[in-house]
Parts: sequence; structure tokens; C-alpha cells
Amino acid sequence: MDIGYFLELLINGALTGLMYSLVALGIVLIYKSSGVPNLAQGAMVMISAYLIWVGVSLAGLPMIVALALAVVGMFLFGLLAERLLLRKMVGQPIIMIVMLTLGLEIFLRGLGPGLLGAAPKSLDLGIDLMPIIIGEVFINRAYLVGAVVAVVMIVLSLLFFRTRLGTKLRAVSDDHVSSWSVGISVERAIGISWGLAGASAVAAGALWGSVQGVDWTLSMLLFPAVAVVILGGLDSIYGVLVAGLIVGILGSVIPGYVDPIVGGGTRDVVTSLIILLTIIFRPHGMFGREDIERV
Amino acid sequence: MKSFLKGLAGAASIAAIGISGAAKADEPIRFALLQDFTAVYTFVTDEYNQGQRDYIELVNREGGLNGHEIEAIIRDTGNEPQRGIEAYNRARREGAILVDFLSTPVSRAAVNRVLDDEVVMITVLHGRGDASDGTTFPYIFPMMATYWSQATLLLDYIDREQGGLEGKRIAHVYIDSPFGREPVPVMEELAQRKDFELRTYAYPSPGNEQSATWSDVRRFRPDHVILWGAGGGQAVSVREAIRNGIPQENILSVVWMAETDARTIGEERATGIKRFEAVATGTDLPIMQRILEEVIEPGHGAGPSENVGTTYYNIGVASMAVATEAARLALEEHGAPLTGTSLRDGFRMIRDFDAEGMMPPVSFAEDDHQGGGYGRVSRWNGEAWEAVTDWFTAHQDIVWEEIEKDAAGFREGR
Amino acid sequence: MFYRLSGVHHTRYETARRIWPVPADRRMVYLVLALAVAAPLYMSDLYLTSYMLPWLIWSAAALSLTLLMGIAGQLHFGFAAVMAIGAYTSIHLTRAGVPLELALIGAGLVAAGIGCIFGAAALRVKGLYLVMATLAMQYLVDWTIINVPAISGGAQATLSTPSVTFLFVPLRGDTALYYGALLWAVIVTMLVLNIKRTSFGRALVAIRDKDFAAAVIGVNPFKYKLLAFFTSSFLGGVSGAVLAFCYYQAVTPEQFGFNVSIQLVAMVLVGGLGSVIGAYLGAGFVLLMPIVLTNVVAYMAIAGWLSVSSNLLAHIPLMVYGGLIVGFILFEPLGLAKIYDNVRKYFLVWPFRHTQS
Repeated sequence: MDIGYFLELLINGALTGLMYSLVALGIVLIYKSSGVPNLAQGAMVMISAYLIWVGVSLAGLPMIVALALAVVGMFLFGLLAERLLLRKMVGQPIIMIVMLTLGLEIFLRGLGPGLLGAAPKSLDLGIDLMPIIIGEVFINRAYLVGAVVAVVMIVLSLLFFRTRLGTKLRAVSDDHVSSWSVGISVERAIGISWGLAGASAVAAGALWGSVQGVDWTLSMLLFPAVAVVILGGLDSIYGVLVAGLIVGILGSVIPGYVDPIVGGGTRDVVTSLIILLTIIFRPHGMFGREDIERV
Repeated sequence: MKSFLKGLAGAASIAAIGISGAAKADEPIRFALLQDFTAVYTFVTDEYNQGQRDYIELVNREGGLNGHEIEAIIRDTGNEPQRGIEAYNRARREGAILVDFLSTPVSRAAVNRVLDDEVVMITVLHGRGDASDGTTFPYIFPMMATYWSQATLLLDYIDREQGGLEGKRIAHVYIDSPFGREPVPVMEELAQRKDFELRTYAYPSPGNEQSATWSDVRRFRPDHVILWGAGGGQAVSVREAIRNGIPQENILSVVWMAETDARTIGEERATGIKRFEAVATGTDLPIMQRILEEVIEPGHGAGPSENVGTTYYNIGVASMAVATEAARLALEEHGAPLTGTSLRDGFRMIRDFDAEGMMPPVSFAEDDHQGGGYGRVSRWNGEAWEAVTDWFTAHQDIVWEEIEKDAAGFREGR
Repeated sequence: MFYRLSGVHHTRYETARRIWPVPADRRMVYLVLALAVAAPLYMSDLYLTSYMLPWLIWSAAALSLTLLMGIAGQLHFGFAAVMAIGAYTSIHLTRAGVPLELALIGAGLVAAGIGCIFGAAALRVKGLYLVMATLAMQYLVDWTIINVPAISGGAQATLSTPSVTFLFVPLRGDTALYYGALLWAVIVTMLVLNIKRTSFGRALVAIRDKDFAAAVIGVNPFKYKLLAFFTSSFLGGVSGAVLAFCYYQAVTPEQFGFNVSIQLVAMVLVGGLGSVIGAYLGAGFVLLMPIVLTNVVAYMAIAGWLSVSSNLLAHIPLMVYGGLIVGFILFEPLGLAKIYDNVRKYFLVWPFRHTQS
């Protein structure tokens, strides 16, 4: 047993897992406040990456300005999506809401590549390609930066829920009607959570876009993000952090040892099994609130 | 109900017009480019299709083929077989005698149909490799080197230019799909012949995250790495390879590696990586100069002018150059109007056609629709892809063994 | 006026239990059926093979799914995987020499068996969690098909359907394939229409509406949920096999990917959950809308009404399609079936305004 190999799989897995958390964070923010599973989050990540690319490559802005503008843009996009689409869906069956977000995803997947060109674009964040080498272990710098950003974002979200506005959001996530009765604007709170999800998509879009280039395949990050969300619990930000680590590590260590035997990439199998086993044994995830009605 | 019937009647009358239109003698020659502009193949389709259309525009501006214009029917199939089949049936009705789907699932679903309908299907760098067997697949032309030929060619390059294969360790890193796995049998066969160690590594599709795979690759300490992916995953593969200490010079890729990928990797960082090349890149070619002069500069180009001369653009140009050459030969031999069968004969009459130096000289015959399996290796020099070998071909005996085997399977399966 | 009724009033249980309580509806169904049977006579082969044929098969698939999602209330985002299992089973069976009639049943049974494993998740959870669980299973089935060459068919990962006969008729040529598909669509339609009228169907509806309550009145949720998955997967598996034999004539893993599952769900939802006519309308919408849009946009571009880049041109249908799905869910959550129903109700008592049905 090669301990260096194991450690490398473990560390890089943990880092990529945290980058998945970044995508998952948006889903949790929205679900926590409104109970809407936003399956368009992957497409929102893609749109943010396109926005950053527009800022940097078409408008010639410095990266930091482009990022800031993208955050503003995506925040507004989130607000709009909530106002125009999701607000009308209150009280509808969950399948309708799921399909609505999927319809939004299809729309966005036509919009971004349609307006800006379907060929992949490159996004350079200026992260050095060479790994950090500790003994036998190579650590990917881009993933390290991504993981740090992810942790910062998650901690910021946790802190945000301690602020005045965040407390309102928590109240909304507890109960819409009681929040109304104490004078909290539920609509605005949900809108803000969509805006925040849009902003967090920008971080994910920038990091993943720099790693693989910007095209519609960014929206396929949804699948690992869903695994993170299910494992961590749909409404737990803390869960995103822990589950991201677990999904990343299992999705790296298990394929690392099993792939050579099976002769195929097993990471998606691991991800699928995580989703399945979580749902069978603990549907609300590790840290989710257990108010799911069981059969 | 009534409006439904009316719609049907209307549709039928439109269809009838289509039929009567196709029967006229001095009609243009119609090529159907029914490709995937919106799903899996987006990384190539835009530029490829632009090249095809610009070349057709060039031919038409130069007077067409014996006075016949070429008309392109362009539709998006979204990589969905049912949409591809609909577009194909419609295009056939409009009189198309050649189709190009540029999508493996769609062209696979169309194989039986084009064989029955006697319509030529070109499967440039996609589709079934065994369609090179022209006796089994009389209407299908892979036209350029199949993936098997690409694999043998890359390995032969290592053998001849990079210090021989014997005793070397070669890692084949591929996207986990039938496409990625396709070259493995010929590589294994070659590994036995040349006595090198081959190991294969799959990464999950779409390949945006491959770190676990590459940790494993590094421990194999490969002398050379062969990348078999497409789209965004390619850039990730190269970055991971460099990060894991594999010198750029020893990274070789399948044909799907273009300027965009090099830019995503970082133009400096990518210096030295090599790829299979089926068609010359750049605008420093007679055909490309004419396209620039007669199509792009007057403003008749089909897309952004910065795409002109990119890898996939030039592949598109070359594909249409071969197809128009076939149509020209067919017109000379059989006269107008062209049919699928006469166009096929035209393809089979092509001898040593190289599109004015743009591509390796290809010749097709009744039993060889691949055209010899030629290609070359090119290297990213920091700004552009630069050829490092001449056009050559390697170990076609192994490739043909594989072609025969799969073609035989197809014959039995019918 | 058109229906020659002033609303639907039942005086006897027999009339209320009929499939078509309104005679005019029955006549219309016969007319549509006659038109469908006669389609090869008046339709050009383009419309027959590229529109009618896939529409019928996808409608059958959507009906199978609407039985599960609409009538039994169990969400399923992995139905393409079930169809894939049916398609691959039927092809391997016919290649092994089993006649197609038996192979179709075999395909249904294997798909139903594996479909029940999907259903096992439904015994634990529902709603969103069931969506995620079935979605994960879709990925697992896809992966297995791609990674086991014995299933997918070697290096080319393509299996052509062997030439077969169905009930002594060789399944070759547009007309034979079309009638094969039509036969299957009619069978599934009759089945789903009638399931709604049986105790089995009423039990499924009870489970859908509230499974606790159903258990209280003596409907075993465990049994009926599994039965719902079994029936629906059986039909879905055979639909997959029919799709392979009558339409694609070759199967590849990409034909049954995750996006196909989404399309199937979209068919059911856009058509209207649990509605039979909705399944037809929804399948037509989801399947044919992108095709029609692509052609319309292309002709508009040729005519010079739309001067945009070819890239945007290709993406407009995708945007419109996504937008229409969103639009339907926002503005007509009950789907195309509801729109049809509104029109029908209007004409039921036309020229008067108030309906009772």
C-alpha cells in the first residue's frame, strides 16, 4: 500500500470536493429559504463563467472588476428568477418546481452559448499550473485556491446567517406563515437567497471555468453538487462543507483503487451510490432537518 | 381536428413541391450538413461548419462545378438521433445526396438508412471506424484517418522519433466512453509486437475533474502519455499531465486538440505538446488564401473571421474539398443530375487528392473508404500548431484487422 | 351543437363507468384511430417515418410514465434507463434466436424486474428524494451499459437490430414499422385508459393522494407502489424495445441518456399529469417542437427574416423550448390536456356558457 498515493488521492479529493461544495452552496441557500430544489444552479454557474469571460475578454476589464460585475449581475439574475418564475410556484407540487428549474436550465444553456458562441472559451485566473509538492504528494494549486475560496464562502454564509438579515432568512426557512405574522417580508428574504445563490455561482464559475474552459459542460457540475447537497442535508450550510469533503474524498480514493481493476471511470458510480445510500438510510442527509415525511 | 387535417394537407403539398423540385436537371448539388450545434459536439461544430460553408461559398464564387452550384442544407440535430433522422429524411427529400452529421450517435443511427437510401454519408473523424470497409458500407466514407489509424500513427511516431517503443511505458488516458476505448485493441496488439508496456486509464465524462486518474498515471511513471478525449476535458488532461511531471514533449493527443485547448492550458505552458493532425492548420495554404480573398474579405464569410485557419475550420474545409472533388469527378463520369450512387463512384475515383497541399494525398477504392489512414504529428510551438513530420501512415495491417473484424460483425448483425 | 349534449349527466352507473361517456368523444376517437390506420395512404414517408412513427412510440413511453407519475404519484427521473434495459434485452434475445414476440415480453419483464429495484427507493421516500434516487439509478444503468461490452456491443458500442418478423409479418419497410408502433401505442393507450377504471387504478390514485390514508382504508402501499413500478417499467421496457426495433434499428447508449429521461418527464408534465390524451400531446410537443422550431428558424433565416449568426440560430430552438416548458408550468400547470379539456367543455354546451361534466 502506497501511502503517498493514498494521501494524494485524499487531499486532491478533499479539495475538489470543496469546489463541488461551491456549486452546492447555491442550491442549499435557495432550498433553505424557500424549499425549492434549484436544478438550474449548474446552468447559473455556466452563465456566471460566461459573464466573467465577457468582462475580461470582450470588455477588457481587469479580472477583479469582471468578477465584481459578474457578482452584481448574477445577484440581479437570482432576484429576477425568483420574482418572475418561482414566486408563482408557491404551493405547486414539487415535481412542477423541479421541472421549472430544469426548463430554466435548458433555456440558459441555449442563451449563454447561443449569444456568445458555443466553442469553449478560456478564463485565466493566473493560478500557477505547477503543483505544490510535499514529499511524494502533489497538490493541485488551482484546486487548493478553489477549496480556500469555497471554505471562505461557506464560512461567510454561516456568519451571514448570524446577521440581522440572516436571522430573518432563518426565520423564513423555519416557517413562512409565522415569519409573515411577525412582519418579515418572506418574498424579499427568498429573493435575497436567490441573489446570494447567484453570487456564489460566480465563484464556482470562475474557478471551474479556469480549470476546464468555459462552455455549456459547466452546467454538468450539477450532478456532483446534488450528491453533496443530498449527503449534507438540503438545508444545511454546514452540511455542504462536510459532505463536499466526503463526496470529494470518496470520489477520488475509491476510483483511485477500483478503476484499475474495473477498467473504467467509477467516479460517477461512487457519486450515484452516495446519493442512493443516503436516500435509503438517511433521506434528510447528515445535517438536514428531519421534517421529511416518510412513507 | 379540421385544422389538423389542413395542416397535414399543407405539409403534404410542401413535401410534393420538394419532390418535384429535386427532379429538375440543372438544380444545385445539395449537401446536407446536419450537425450538433447545441450539445456534445459544440467544441468543434461551429468552426468546422463555418469552414465547410466558406469552402462551398468559394466553389460557388468560382463558378461552381461545371455550372452547378453547391447548396448546403444546415440544421441542428442537438446530438439526438430522432432529430437527426428527421433532418436527414427532410434533406433527402430536398434532394441532398451527401450528409455529414458530425455526431457519432446520430450517424450510427443513420447507417442502415443511408445504405438503404443510397445517400453518401461522410463520417469525418467520427462515426464507425469499420465503415472504412467500403464493400460492407458502400455509402459511408470515413474519409480521413480512423481513430485506430490515429493510434497506430502516434505510437509509430514515438517509435521512430522519440527513442523507440521497446521497453517503454505508455499510458493511454481516455474519456470513459466507447470513443475513448475504441483505440485500445490496436494499441494492445502493437504493444505485443513492439514489446512496450501499455496501461489504460479512464476518467469520467465530461472530464472536468481528473486528479485521481492522474495520481495513478504518475505512479506508473510513463514515458509517454496518449490523450484520448474531446472538448473541455482535453485541456484538463494536459494540465494534469504537466502538473504530474510529464514533459510536454511526451504528451500526445488524438486529433481533438485545438487552439482553444492550448489557450485554456496557457499558451506558454502548452508548448511542446503534440497531437495527431489530419489536415494542415493555418491560412498559409492555397485554398485558404483563396477563401480569404474571395469569401472572407468581400464579407461573405459564414462566421467570425478570426476562426479562419483554426484546426477545426480547416478540417471542415478539407472535408468539403474532398466531397466537391468527388462531385466533380462524378459529374465528369456520369453527368448531371448527380445521385448518391454516382457521387459514391466519384469518391471512389479520387486518386492522390491533397486539396492543394492542405491534407495528405487520399485515394479511395471500393474496399478502402478511409483513404489510406494518413496523418501527421504537429506540435504546439507557443503560438500555433506546427507540423513536425510529413504525412505518413503506420501499421495499417493492424488497423485493417480491426476494421474487418467489426465490419464482419456488422454484416452478421444485419 | 357539436356534441349534441347539454352537459354530461348520468342516470345509471353503467353510463358513468364507460370509457367514453360522451358518444361524440367515442366517435372522435374512432375517427382519429381510422386516420392513424390510414396514415400510410395519405402521408408522405417523411411525415410517416420522421413524425408519426417516433411520436407514437414516445407517446407509448410517456403513457407508461404517466401511469407511474400521474396516476400512482411516484416521481421517476430515470425512465430512459428503464427503456434502455428493455431495448438491450430485446436485441440480445432476438440475436440469440428468440422470436420477437417473446423477446418483447422478455424485455418488459427484465425492465420491470430492474424497475422494481428503482421502486424500492419509493418505499422509503417520495417527492424530491425519489427524483434524486431515480436520477442516481439512471447514472448507474448508463454506466453499466457503457462499461460492459457484452451489453453495449463491443468497440463500436452499437447493436443493429436483426431482421425479424412480428406475427408472421416481416418488420421491414416504413409501413410495417409504422403499424408495429401503432399497434403498441393502441395497446398501451387501452391499458392505461382501463387501468384508471379498475380497482388497481383506484388503489394507485388512493396512494397518490395520500398513502397513509390509503393504508387506513386497506390499500397496501408497499404492494401497490411496487406494482405501479412493475407495470410502468414493463410498459416502458417494451416501449424501449419497440423504439429500437421500429425506429432506431440500432441501439447505442446515448439514445437513452439522462437528457432523454428529462424529456420524458417534460412530456408527461407538459401534456398533463395522468392524462392519456396529455401523454400524446406532451410527447408531440416535446419531441416535435424542437424539430419544427429548427426548421422554422432555418427557413426564416433563408428567407432573410432573421439575420443573426448561425450559432445563435442553432440555439434559438433550445431557448424557445426551455422557455415554453417554463411557460407551461407557470401558466398552465395542468398541461396541454387541460387546454384541450377547456376547449372541449366549451364546445360541449356551445352555444351556451355553463358546463357541467
